[in-house]
Amino acid sequence: MEEELKNIVASAKQKITAVTSRAGFEAIKAEITGPNGALTKVMKNMGAIPKEDRPTFGKLINQAKTQIQGFYDDVFSAIEQAELAARIGPAIDPSLPSPNAALGSQHPLTKVREEICSIFKQIGFTVTEGTEVETEYYCFDALNTPADHPARDLQDTFYLPDDAQFGNVSKKSDERYLLRTHTSSVQIRTMLKEKPPLRIISPGRCFRRDTVDATHSANFHQIEGLYIDEDVTVRDLKAVLDYFFERLLGKGTKTRFRPHFFPYTEPSFEVDFSSSHLAKLGSEWVEIAGCGMVEPAVFDSVGYDPEKYSGFAFGMGIERIAMILYGIDDIRYFYQNDARFLSQFA
Amino acid sequence: MKVSLKWLKRYVDLDESPKELAASLTLLGFEVDDMETTGVPPLENVVVGEVLQRDQHPDADKLGVCRVDCGSEIGEKSIVCGASNYKVGDRVPVALPGAELPGGFKIKKSKLRGVPSDGMMCSGKEIGAGDDHAGLLILDKAPATGTPINQVLTDSDTVFNLEVTPNRPDCLSHIGIARELAAWYRRDVRYPDVNDVPAESNRAKGEGIFDSVTVEASEDCPLYIASVIKGVKVGPSPQWLKESLSAIGLRPINNVVDVTNFVMHECGNPMHAFDARDIAGGKICVRNAGEGEVMTTLDGEERKLSNRMVVIADDDKALAVAGVMGGQNSEVKDDTTDLVLEVAYFKPSTIRWVSKKLGLSTDSSYRFERGVDPLSLRYATERAVSLILETAGGALCSNGMTAGKEPVSQTDVEITPDWIRKKSGFEITDAEIREALELLDMSISVGNDDVWTVSIPSYRGDLYRPVDLLEEVLRIFGTDKIPGGQVRATTTTASDSPITEFVRKSSAFLVGQNFSESVTYTLRSAEEQTLWASHVSADELALLNPISEDQTQLRHSLLPGMLEVLHLNQSRKTGAYRFFETGRIFQELNGKIVEMVAVAFLECNGATGRTWKEKGYDDFYTAKQRVKTIASYAGIDLSKFKTRPVEENVSAWQEGHSSAYEEPKAGFFARMGLMNLSRIKEMDIQGEVLAGIFCYLPERLREPKRIKFKPFSLFPASSRDLALVVDKNEQAEEVVRAIGKIATKASKGFDVENVSVFDVYEGVGVPGDKKSIAVSMTFRALDRTLKDKEVNSAFDEIQKQVREKSPYGIRD
Repeated sequence: MEEELKNIVASAKQKITAVTSRAGFEAIKAEITGPNGALTKVMKNMGAIPKEDRPTFGKLINQAKTQIQGFYDDVFSAIEQAELAARIGPAIDPSLPSPNAALGSQHPLTKVREEICSIFKQIGFTVTEGTEVETEYYCFDALNTPADHPARDLQDTFYLPDDAQFGNVSKKSDERYLLRTHTSSVQIRTMLKEKPPLRIISPGRCFRRDTVDATHSANFHQIEGLYIDEDVTVRDLKAVLDYFFERLLGKGTKTRFRPHFFPYTEPSFEVDFSSSHLAKLGSEWVEIAGCGMVEPAVFDSVGYDPEKYSGFAFGMGIERIAMILYGIDDIRYFYQNDARFLSQFA
Repeated sequence: MKVSLKWLKRYVDLDESPKELAASLTLLGFEVDDMETTGVPPLENVVVGEVLQRDQHPDADKLGVCRVDCGSEIGEKSIVCGASNYKVGDRVPVALPGAELPGGFKIKKSKLRGVPSDGMMCSGKEIGAGDDHAGLLILDKAPATGTPINQVLTDSDTVFNLEVTPNRPDCLSHIGIARELAAWYRRDVRYPDVNDVPAESNRAKGEGIFDSVTVEASEDCPLYIASVIKGVKVGPSPQWLKESLSAIGLRPINNVVDVTNFVMHECGNPMHAFDARDIAGGKICVRNAGEGEVMTTLDGEERKLSNRMVVIADDDKALAVAGVMGGQNSEVKDDTTDLVLEVAYFKPSTIRWVSKKLGLSTDSSYRFERGVDPLSLRYATERAVSLILETAGGALCSNGMTAGKEPVSQTDVEITPDWIRKKSGFEITDAEIREALELLDMSISVGNDDVWTVSIPSYRGDLYRPVDLLEEVLRIFGTDKIPGGQVRATTTTASDSPITEFVRKSSAFLVGQNFSESVTYTLRSAEEQTLWASHVSADELALLNPISEDQTQLRHSLLPGMLEVLHLNQSRKTGAYRFFETGRIFQELNGKIVEMVAVAFLECNGATGRTWKEKGYDDFYTAKQRVKTIASYAGIDLSKFKTRPVEENVSAWQEGHSSAYEEPKAGFFARMGLMNLSRIKEMDIQGEVLAGIFCYLPERLREPKRIKFKPFSLFPASSRDLALVVDKNEQAEEVVRAIGKIATKASKGFDVENVSVFDVYEGVGVPGDKKSIAVSMTFRALDRTLKDKEVNSAFDEIQKQVREKSPYGIRD
C-alpha cells in the first residue's frame, strides 16, 4: 500500500511537471485526484484496511495529498505566469524611442513673458490684458501724444478703415481704430476703470509698420508696468527696476538711467544694464527698457489728481529680452517656429 | 544729427577724448548712435623724433636699426624700422612704449630678430593721418623733437551721430550741444561775436534792389527778417567753411549758400538767400499758396501746392515753400551780386503738415517743425550777415526789413527744493538744485516759503512745468547717480487677469499633451483668408494701410499660420508634427468685428517619417476631448451645448470628419476635426491634419468660481442596458440627452448617475436608414442600496416612455 502511494506520487510528479497548459493541467489533475483518479481510488480502498492500520495509512495518504497539492500549486502558478507573459509579448528593448517622440514646449517668448510676470508678481504687480485693436484716443491722445506726432503717421502705425466697427473695443468719441503700438493703452483703460493704488503689468502683442528684418518685425511683444500710489518717487522706480533686472539677468547686474523723452512720462529715462552673466555682452552698457514718472497730463486724461498721486511706468520688448537672455541674433526665428529652435526651450 | 567735435570746440573748451565726450553726451540724453574720427586722434606717447643714425640690422636685409632723438626730456631711443623712404635727419612720428595707436595697436618694448626696439616710427596711416602706408610719415617744417604729435598734426576731428529727442529742438545745432556740454562740465559757452556787422547808420543804400516785406499768413509766420546785401562775389567758400560742412556730411556749394547752411548748423536757425534780381517788384510777401499753385523747388521737383501751405512770394510768383525749401527761380547763382537773406519763424505744426503733405523733409523743415528758438532770429541774422560779408564781400544795406514780432513771452516756473526732493526720493541739496538750473541758463529768484521762481531761457520751449525742471535737475545731477533702494512692499488685492489665467492653463495643458507652442504673425494675406474662410469678405478684416500684399488682413484664425509652421517643419524635415498657439483673432459677430482670445492646436497624422513601431495617431474624438478641456478652463461645459457640422461655407474643415460649437450668445465658438483634405494637399502638406480651435470673447472671461463640494453615494450602483434604433443621422449626444431625461423622470427616489453609449452599430438586423445605439444607464441612491425591484420598475417605465414618447425604437 505504501508502495502504491509512493508510485502515485512519483507518477504525479512526472506527469504534472510536464504539463504546460491549463487544459493539460486539468486533465492530469482529474487522472490523479479526480473522482476516478489514482489517489482517489486508493482513498476509496480505506475500508479494506484493517482498523488498527488506518491511522498510519491515513497519515500516508495525507502526506501524498500534500505532496501532490504542492506539485499542483507550483505548476499552476507557472502556467499562470506563462499566460500573463504571453499576453504582454516578448521582452522589450528599453533603449528604443517612443514612436510619438514629440516633446511639448513653450515658445521662448511665452517663457520670457511668464518669467517677467512672475518676478513682478513677487512685488505685487498683477497682469492686466487689453485688446490688440485699439483706438487713437487710448493709444495716443490719452498718453499725451500730440495729434501730429510722427508715431501716429500712416507711415508708422497700422490703421483700420474709417468705417470699421468693433463690437468689443470701445471708442472715446469717433476716433480711428488702429493696431496698438504699445501696451500703454492697457494702462489708460485700467486707470479709467480702477482707482489707485495700482500695480499692474501688461504684456501683449504690438504692431509697428516696420519692414521685417533681423531686428524688426511687423508685430512684436511688449511688457509694460505701471505703479501708482501716493508719494511714489524716482528712486522707487529705480529700486523696482534694479530688483527686476537683477532677478532676470543674474546677481550683480547693474542698471543705470539715461535721460530720454517719451510723451507720457516726465522725467523719462532709458535703462541700460550691464551684466557679467551674459558673456557676449561683457561690461558694456546695453539698452534694455524705457521708463519714467507718469506725466501729469496722463493723470488729467484719466481723472487722477496729480497733486495726490504720482507713479511710474516702464516698458520693454519681450523679443529683445529673449534675444539677450538666450543669445538669439535674429528676431525672425521667433516667428518661423522651426522645431530645432522651439525644442531648445522645451 | 551729426556734430563735429572740432566745430564744438569753437564754443566750449573740450579736452576730453571723443570716447569720454560720447559718454557724457549719452548721460545728457543724447544717445550716440556712432562716432567717426578722422585725422590724428588724441594720442599719448607719440612724439616727433629725428633719425640720427641708421645701421643695417645684422640678421635682416630689410630692417634698419636707428638711433632716434626724441627731444631732451625723452632722450635717444633705439628703434628697429622696416621702412626705406627716410634718411638721416628726417623728423618722423615716434610711438613710444605705452602708446596705443588707432585700431587698438599697443606699443611695447620688443625685440625684432634679436635686436631690441624701444618704440616704433610710424606711417601716416598708422597714426590716422591719411592712408599712406608706403613708408614713414616725414614731417615737414622740422617740428621740435619731443613735441607731442597732436600738436603737430592738429587736423583731427570726431563726428558724433547723435539722437536728439523731439523735445530738444534747441540741440539741433552745434551751439545747442555745446551749451549742454558746457553745463555738464561746468564751463562757459563762447558765442561767436557779430561786432563787425555795420550799425544801422553805417549801412549802404539799397534802393532799387529790394523794397518791402509783408506777411499775410501772420499766424503761420509771426516773424520774418529780410536783410539785403549788395555787391557780393559768389565763389567757393574758404577752406574752413568747406571743411566744417563736409565734416557733417554737407556738400559745399558756394560761399553764400554755405554760410546759410553753416549758421543753421551752428545756431539752429534755418535761413535762405534769394537772388535779389529774381524778386519781381522788389517785394516779398509771405502768403498762403493758391490751391493748385505750382513751383519748382531747388531739388528740381515740380511741387503742386495747396492753400494750407505757405509760400514766400514776390509780385508774380512763389519763390520758396516757406520753411521747407527754396525755389529754383530765385536761387543764388555764380553771377548773383545782390542778396536778400531770409531768417524767419514759422509755426511748427504748419511746417510739419506741409512737409508731410509734400513728402519733403529738409534740414530746414526738420528744425522748424520742432520749433526754433523764437528769440534767436536777430542774432542768427547778424551772424549770417557777418559771415557773408567776410566770405563773399558786399555791403549790408539799410533797407533790411522785419515783419511781425517774436512769438512768445517769457516763461517762469515755480518750484520748491523740497518738492524736487520729494519727487526724487533721495537727498539732493538746495545748492545742487540751484547749480543744475543755473548751469542750464536759468535764473532763480527766491520768494516766500522757499518758492523759487525759475525763468526759462527762450530756447527751452519744452520747460513749462515743475516736473520739467525735475528732469533737468536730475540730468545735470547725473541720472546714473540716482540711487536704488528697497522696493516698497505695499499690497493690492488684485489678481492676474482671467484671460491670462485661461491662456496659461490651456497652454500648460497642451504642452503636457506634447504640443509645441508656435507664435505666428497676426497680419495675413487676403488670399489666405479667402482660401480658409471663404465666408469672410476680403475687405472685412483688411487694414487701411498695409505694408505689403502678404500682410493686409487681421487673422480670422490661428490655424492658417500654424499650417505654415507645419509646412516649414515638414519641408525642413524636423520631424515635428504637433503645434499649438494662443492669441487674438478677429471674427464677425452680429455685424461687427470682435477681437477674441483663441487657443488652437493641430497635429499631422501620417507622413511624419518612418518609425520602428507604428505611431498611435489621435482621432476626432481625442481632438474633441482636448477642445472640451480647453473650454472648461474658460468655465464652459461643452456637453451643455449642441455640436453641429461646421457650416458648409467654412471651407477649412473636412465634411463628415469635423464639427463645431457656434454659440455667439455665450460668446464662444469651437471647431475641431480633420482640416479640409484637398486644401491641406494644395498647401503641399503631407498627411492629414487633425486640429481644434476654441475662441472666446475676452471680456466674458471671469475668475473661476470657488468649487463647492457635493456629497456622493457610498452605496453600490445598479445598471441597465438599452439598445435603441435611431435615425442614421441622429447624433449620439441627442440620444443620450433624451434617454437621460426619460430615465431621470422614471427614477423615483434615486438618481440616474450616468447614461453612456457603449455601442454603435449599423448593418444586419438594423434597417438601412437606421442605426443602433446601445446605452448603459447607471442608477444609484444616496442613502441606501437599490433593490432590483425598484430598478426594474424604473427600467420598465423607461422602455415604455421610449416606445410611446420618443422617436426611437428599442432593439430586442
